[in-house]
Amino acid sequence: MDFPALGLTLRLAGTTTLVLLLVATPLAAWIAGGSGWLRRMVQAVVALPLVLPPTVLGFYLLVGMAPGTMVGRVLIRVVGHSLAFTFWGLVVGSVVYSLPFAVVPLVTGFSSVNRELRETASVLGAGPLTVFRRIVVPLSGMSFAMAAVLAFAHTVGEFGVVLMIGGDIPGVTRTLSISIFDAVQEANYAGANRMAVWLVAVSFVALLGVYWRGARVQGSGSRG
Amino acid sequence: MANGVHHRLRVEAEVGALLLEAELEFAAPWTVVFGPSGSGKSSLLKAMCGLLECDEVEFARREGEGWRMLDGLESYRRLLGYAPQQAALFPHMTVRQNVAFATTQRPKGRAAWKQAMEVVDAAMDVFALRELEDRRPDDLSGGESQRVNLARAFVVPGARLMLLDEPFSGVDRRLRDMMLPRMKEWLKELDLAVISVTHDVDEALLLEAEVVRLEGGRVVAQGAAVEVLAEERVRMIAVLGGAAESIPQG
Repeated sequence: MDFPALGLTLRLAGTTTLVLLLVATPLAAWIAGGSGWLRRMVQAVVALPLVLPPTVLGFYLLVGMAPGTMVGRVLIRVVGHSLAFTFWGLVVGSVVYSLPFAVVPLVTGFSSVNRELRETASVLGAGPLTVFRRIVVPLSGMSFAMAAVLAFAHTVGEFGVVLMIGGDIPGVTRTLSISIFDAVQEANYAGANRMAVWLVAVSFVALLGVYWRGARVQGSGSRG
Repeated sequence: MANGVHHRLRVEAEVGALLLEAELEFAAPWTVVFGPSGSGKSSLLKAMCGLLECDEVEFARREGEGWRMLDGLESYRRLLGYAPQQAALFPHMTVRQNVAFATTQRPKGRAAWKQAMEVVDAAMDVFALRELEDRRPDDLSGGESQRVNLARAFVVPGARLMLLDEPFSGVDRRLRDMMLPRMKEWLKELDLAVISVTHDVDEALLLEAEVVRLEGGRVVAQGAAVEVLAEERVRMIAVLGGAAESIPQG
């Protein structure tokens, strides 16, 4: 069992989930707040990782971070090196790759909050931020849980993007899925199986949590 | 507020198949917009709230010698108390939290908070909500929800106008008659004007308000309730008379 890879995977998934919730919440609120062409376009761009091969995404991110690009130069000036083949490079890749898994549930949750509740709150003197904080967020609690769990589970299982951006550096960028791949390459099927069971368990528990919570919320009545 | 026109509205809007075209001046402390279902009453209130997409709208409030245009302001800057037709209570809050919603947005410091809570307490008393204060909207009857809806509208800090859409629908008549004098007292104390909507003749007459009669999206009459609703009043008396005659005598 590759425990350093397991630790790195959980650390990557946790960090990505936190960053994703911070990034996806305002983005989802903006997307849910209207119906113009710009919103639809951003929504399509956010959903791209759902259909693109992870290696394509990883390739462009790797090229984008290269020292010769504008982003690469800014990164070198700010953090001292391009993010490729580092933990934070993996975080950037994972955030982009898992963005739709956080944004889509949040957009659905925010859009499902009764419009009349938001309008009434607004006429009663609540500005847009207050309406969001006091009405939309509390009534979208399940969507936040869903976004967090899906983002976490998706990051735990990602392979192509992390391999392209991070390579296979033990203790730095070798995640559990890459370690499984290495084990299979070495015909170490028993070792691969032990690690794969971990991934299956983490993913299953995460999804079970979402469905269990979802059933409780549905059982406790309407959300307005 | 009772002296002279305090608000004026001119609106043109297409609401489904209805063309709403109205130009109104509100001078009475309480104005009732009366009309049949689908005549545009609720849309008129929504236009004032900024919740209706209008082809043209001009909504202004008297401030001193001049007029302050409200139609360009976002809803939350218009200083309105609003009770929509469907109670639209916040389902994740208790009755008390719903009522306190507007007052607890920006109270700075302990004194401001205490003052806000006093206003909430007063509203809970006027609308007979003390016993329900820890309940959630899911556990309320229609009439109880409506009382919370009204109380919530009454505690908006700095509000200058109350817009109440069918305020007493579902409220027990005995309770309504008990609440009304205290509501009116409160409105007078705060110098607050009210524009409410109803299709109930009895309610319009009871409020002794100025009545705006709306039909097919247009204003067809405006004046004292007994004049504007004279026909309905005669009809109602006839119905009551008929009912009295049908009661078996001694």
